[in-house]
Amino acid sequence: MTQMRLHLTFPEERVREPIVYEICKNFPVVVNIRRADISDDSGWMELEMDGDLPDLERTVAYLRDRGIVVAPIEKSILEG
Amino acid sequence: MNRPSAPHRESDAARGETVANPSAGSKIKGLKCRECGRLYPAVAMHICEFCFGPLEVDYDYEAIAGRLSRRSIEEGPKSLWRYHELLPVTGAPTVGLHAGMTPLVHAKRLGKVLGLDNLYLKNDTVNHPTLSFKDRVVAVAMTRARELGFDTVACASTGNLANSVSAHAASVGMKCFVFIPHDLEAGKILGNLIYHPTVVAVRGNYDDVNRLCSEIGGEYPWAFVNINIRPYYAEGSKSLAFETAEQLGWRVPDQVVVPIASGSLLTKIWKGFQEFSKLGIVPANPALRVNGAQAEGCSPVYRAFVSGKNHLVPVKPNTIAKSLAIGNPADGFYSLDVVFKSKGAIAAATDPEIVEGMKLLAETEGIFAETAGGVTVASLKKLCEEGRIGRSELTVAYITGNGLKTMEALTGALPEPVAIDASLSSFRKNVNPSN
Repeated sequence: MTQMRLHLTFPEERVREPIVYEICKNFPVVVNIRRADISDDSGWMELEMDGDLPDLERTVAYLRDRGIVVAPIEKSILEG
Repeated sequence: MNRPSAPHRESDAARGETVANPSAGSKIKGLKCRECGRLYPAVAMHICEFCFGPLEVDYDYEAIAGRLSRRSIEEGPKSLWRYHELLPVTGAPTVGLHAGMTPLVHAKRLGKVLGLDNLYLKNDTVNHPTLSFKDRVVAVAMTRARELGFDTVACASTGNLANSVSAHAASVGMKCFVFIPHDLEAGKILGNLIYHPTVVAVRGNYDDVNRLCSEIGGEYPWAFVNINIRPYYAEGSKSLAFETAEQLGWRVPDQVVVPIASGSLLTKIWKGFQEFSKLGIVPANPALRVNGAQAEGCSPVYRAFVSGKNHLVPVKPNTIAKSLAIGNPADGFYSLDVVFKSKGAIAAATDPEIVEGMKLLAETEGIFAETAGGVTVASLKKLCEEGRIGRSELTVAYITGNGLKTMEALTGALPEPVAIDASLSSFRKNVNPSN
């Protein structure tokens, strides 16, 4: 079992979609939202996800396919 | 849920909990969540376990006020360590003893071009030892890391940060790991290899490097300066504000212009001025406006500012200003907040404007800045043109890195040398002595 702590950024066209519901329905992972801020046209969410690594990887790929920016909780670590 | 393997959480050893008494010393009370205010011991951690908000150093300002004065500062070393009382280390500094105290240049010639009578440049192109402001944050981060008992330091960087971490690690014999994308230009790696760190070239894109480093930061007992040591690391930037105030004769400027990458630098410069005012070292200047500068090819904070929103949309960087190319900045929201709060502004510069900014700075003040300096000067110019900075206002712009590091940005942008034969007649024929 592995845990990921992620920062998700939602584009305007995804803000109203039930993404967390879709994750839980489609993948055997446990999602725990810690902080979020969603407005009409944008939003972000910080969460932890528990599951087997391949399932977590598939979940991240699914989110990215939906146009959601998925980053580690630290966001951009790589600096100039 | 059982969590035998939790690669995103710091182990006890990684936090320094087993190797030191980290809260020793009366000035650091611990770490505090910037969002929910929860308190933690002053160990190697960076995220609130409850709300995932970023952690900041929590100081005992009452105790500090009893010891800190202009005189105590002036009697200190000629380095950033003269502000030791407001830096998050408990003992004597052990790394980066010569960082900081860079010149504050009264930029009369550049000011004349921009229509500013009181323009100053904080010149960190000559910081010691690796010629960028990163020497400040790394000096503080690594001194703290050693206090916490770490013998290995790490970072993920394509430039200035890697240089500084590698050099400082070499200077004290710490083991050092630098993570880079595998396709980084060879020239950028050489400046690190000379210090003999372990450079790890990760096959994958920037997102992959970020994710891997986040995992490694939680798994290995290393001081990852911009992950688990970040609360201490970021505080080093405050020294830019402290030095500015002291070099101006114990004053807070009216306007500052700060380049934005992660956003941490801008927030810490603001914090530094606030701390000095709060402790009575300088009179408060409620008029201080904090302005940001971004490269247009990587400008998530600028775009949010222009749209008047506090949500940042991550971007894929595409700019010559590599040292500012952070598409999903950790402190983007907080830097935007400071700009709004101080009634400042943010400007953005295109790549050609960045090169023009570098040239203008060099031609008027004799300072060769890296591309980030070009961003700052070009943005300052725009802010002046927009009437956001008044002619007589005391203005400080932060020049954060040396131009020798980004020579490739100037390819084709400068005139060719005048080629002549080795004769006086050829010289007379080809060179205009009045130039």
